[in-house]
Amino acid sequence: MWQSLPELGTGVVYAILVAAAYTFAVALAAGRGRPRLLQAARLGAYATSALVLFAILLLSYAFVSHDFRIRYVAHYSDRRMSTAYLLTSLWGGQDGSLLWWSLLLSGYVTGCVAWLKGRYRELQPYVIATLMVIVGFFAMLMLFAANPFETSIAGARPDGEGLNPLLQNYWMIIHPPCLYMGFVGCSVPFAFGVAALVTRRLDNEWVIAVRKWMLFAFLFLSIGNVLGMMWAYEELGWGGFWAWDPVENAACLPWFTAAAYVHSTMIQERRHMLRVWNVFLICLTFFLTIFGTFLTRAGIITSVHSFAQSSIGTYFVYFMGVILGASLGLIVWRLPDLRSQGQIEAVASREAMFVANNWALLGGMTFILVSTMYPKLSELWGESATVGPPHFNRWMGPIGLMIFALMGLAPLFGWRKTSNVSLKKAFRAPVIALVVMVVLHAAFGKALGYPALVARDAFYPGVVGLVIKHIGSTLPAITIALAAFNVAVIVQEFARGVGSRRAAALKRGEEESVFAALFRLVEKNRRRYGGYVVHLGIVAMFIGFTGTAWNIDRETALMPGDTYHIGQYSLTYRGTRMCPGNPKCSPAEQADIEKRMLFADIDVTRAGKSLGRVSPAKFFYQSNPDGPTTEVSMIRSLHEDLYTVLGQADPSTKRATFQFHVNPLVSWIWMGLLILIGGTLVSLFPEFSFGEVGAWAYVRAGAGAAAGIGFSIWIAMAPGAAYAQDRPVHDARAAVASASVLPNTRKLPTSGLGMAGLVGLGLGSVVSFARRRRDNAKSSRD
Amino acid sequence: MNDRVSSMNLTPWAVLASIATATVVGIFYGVQLVVLTLAAGALLLVIWLLWRSVQSLAGESQLTFEDAFSLGARSAEEEQKRAVLRALKDLDFERSIGKISEEDYQEYSARYRAQAKLLIRHVDESLAEARKVAERDLERRLAKLPGKETRKSPEPADEEPSDPLEPIAEAEAVSSPIAAEIPEKSPKKTATTLRACAACAVNNELDARFCKGCGAALAEPGQKLCGACPARFPEADPRCPECGTESESKS
Repeated sequence: MWQSLPELGTGVVYAILVAAAYTFAVALAAGRGRPRLLQAARLGAYATSALVLFAILLLSYAFVSHDFRIRYVAHYSDRRMSTAYLLTSLWGGQDGSLLWWSLLLSGYVTGCVAWLKGRYRELQPYVIATLMVIVGFFAMLMLFAANPFETSIAGARPDGEGLNPLLQNYWMIIHPPCLYMGFVGCSVPFAFGVAALVTRRLDNEWVIAVRKWMLFAFLFLSIGNVLGMMWAYEELGWGGFWAWDPVENAACLPWFTAAAYVHSTMIQERRHMLRVWNVFLICLTFFLTIFGTFLTRAGIITSVHSFAQSSIGTYFVYFMGVILGASLGLIVWRLPDLRSQGQIEAVASREAMFVANNWALLGGMTFILVSTMYPKLSELWGESATVGPPHFNRWMGPIGLMIFALMGLAPLFGWRKTSNVSLKKAFRAPVIALVVMVVLHAAFGKALGYPALVARDAFYPGVVGLVIKHIGSTLPAITIALAAFNVAVIVQEFARGVGSRRAAALKRGEEESVFAALFRLVEKNRRRYGGYVVHLGIVAMFIGFTGTAWNIDRETALMPGDTYHIGQYSLTYRGTRMCPGNPKCSPAEQADIEKRMLFADIDVTRAGKSLGRVSPAKFFYQSNPDGPTTEVSMIRSLHEDLYTVLGQADPSTKRATFQFHVNPLVSWIWMGLLILIGGTLVSLFPEFSFGEVGAWAYVRAGAGAAAGIGFSIWIAMAPGAAYAQDRPVHDARAAVASASVLPNTRKLPTSGLGMAGLVGLGLGSVVSFARRRRDNAKSSRD
Repeated sequence: MNDRVSSMNLTPWAVLASIATATVVGIFYGVQLVVLTLAAGALLLVIWLLWRSVQSLAGESQLTFEDAFSLGARSAEEEQKRAVLRALKDLDFERSIGKISEEDYQEYSARYRAQAKLLIRHVDESLAEARKVAERDLERRLAKLPGKETRKSPEPADEEPSDPLEPIAEAEAVSSPIAAEIPEKSPKKTATTLRACAACAVNNELDARFCKGCGAALAEPGQKLCGACPARFPEADPRCPECGTESESKS
């Protein structure tokens, strides 16, 4: 069995299942409070994780050594691919991505078990047991449905098929791992939830333990989803960033419930209420992650993302049944213990707002879920319906705005019941901001290119359709107004906090500057103020989403020398060139052996000023000559993007068809993500006390901060790096104009992340030693 | 392998060693061997961890100090106590930014304090036995040491049970007994049930001896505090001049 790599690999997957089962059994036995068994379970969990690591390293070796005996390797790689893409192919197909999921899950298991140490000793055994069940399930999937080490019946091929050229880009390297980190991260809170239900320790203990884990998973769900949006926007060439594709929808479902959970948990911590909600949300979030991956893999709904159809769907259905049955059973069993110890006493209270928020987010999730499944469901009663973007866009607008409004309202209310006086005080500034914005928008919107009312087509017939149409036309104005409201609320919260700190300092006879007060305010209330920064990021993203209401989309055919006007731009088509071959191509383009590139060069001016040249293209890959890929060319700015796409070009007459889009405010979505990451990092930042954890505290904190910042920069560079990879740039102006949101950072090596980590470690070490020296000096003085 | 080796935490060193070897190999031999070296390291790690796990299961390994220490980790009551203290801190903050009315603040504050006192008392009681055992143990060991004086040192020895291998009693669901003991609605705190600090005017409980706002002592030297009303009066007086309660000697 161990005579060849494929057999060894399969053996290792068996071993994973055995190790997971062993750890599960030992963990359950440790549930009676025996420390020896708990220690054995912990080590077993580490061992299982190490086995998964071993398996993925074996598969990686198979890829880098071009072991085409293995079916998966032959299908997704070839001899020409670089090492980076060989390793990227690990998650390029069904089987490998299952192993990749297991690897990330193992990473979380290791992290969770190491973090637990001696804490939550009662919950630990069941947390470990639950996590092992999940690992075991994925091992079973790999063994019986999609073995990544399976060999081809025909034997080793001379060369593999290679990864789809559409996937050989920067996005494929970062989007799936980030999204998977988000999905898999929801397993840990679920394990804690199950453990709490089983052990009956349903107080705030498990909720507090789970806080940071859920936030971390939520962070990566956000990053993963927005990276997907960026990818679609940059690469697919249809001008938008979200097509309500079933797999896209499946990826955002757990985001909704996770967002609901991180808010509703605060109510449980403060008032011991909503406990059933919280366990329910946690179980639902995990269920939706499994459901999401089921939709992607089982092929029951057609999607651009689907893996090939296979029998794997059945396994998922059984597992989902087990999860549903176990979760609901546990919740019903513990319902008496979960009963609230408090009540909602008034509508004008934070508790009521958060319950409304729960319902709104859950409602949004349910709408997306049902609409996505509708084609399949409609087959049950003989129809064959399809559901497309117009349906989603019509309804998610109002639903999204409800959530947006609640986001602004909730911080204004106090606990239990808010008196009229404090309500008036709280609402004053935000309402003024809202009214001012409505007036300004109505007055100046049209002149600036963002009219307040946007006419829409009636989607439904009759009076209902008319009403919805009119409401729909006001959505942009409402969104901008609510954005102003939200920003005012956030600023007000910070101002109040700073004000109260400074007042308290004055009372003590000291004086605290605004900056010091702000810093210490955030330091002492990281979760709250980090959360407000996240809200700010969401505001930016909503502004970006609203921009689509003012899109200008045009299609046209041009001859060389023609000028076309769209929005404020004048586009002059200069002609096509085919690279390699044309003398106007850059040296890098001439050297490309993988593909032939047909560029269409267009000079862009706005109000007489030249903005450079855009070159939308079609790429013809050697491995796939009949399926050219579309390469978008863009000029970005903060307030809009000019997005150009080449349709077809006649080689003799050079007549070419184009799609031109002006997409206002899209960059605000990407900026919103960066702000969201910043806010989450602030919330996640550990509250360490030097005395408790010693010197390593600062080192870890420093490394963590630097890694976080480095990661954010890396994400921000993504569009630029992806662009650089696709197309060697020959025109400096266009390069600058079409680089990422941040200034031209392509020169920064991607190993910057590692550098950032080292810098953080260094900084942290310096600070910790300095602090230690100071403390030693102080104690020797005393 | 003797106990000392097995109880050392070799894992991080093994990982570092694998990565270091892989880097060296990679420089000379290329990417493929890097992956293979790392895979070998992973396999060794698996074997090591599985072996230690089974050892632990079979009862052959000593508990490391860290593990034993962590066994005395916080019980449910201690976790609850921390949660309550955290809630109190949040409450103070909310009141400072005006999110909660004064009336509600007093009520919640009193409720949380009562809960915290109860929990602290429970924790102390449950630890009393273990603490006595630990102190006896310590005295015995100190007596054995040559040339050292035996002192009754009140070490804050942790909650180690006498035999770390005995199954630790299952903690019951704490919520019911605790919740039952807390009165549904605690009496409203008015100004006469609180005492204002002379230095910073922050209200303190009647039994507080130091101000929670500024830390100043609430009674001047030579004075004492009444336990039933906010008054302060000279130490020599047996009764409080305000409310007439007979005083214990509290200063």
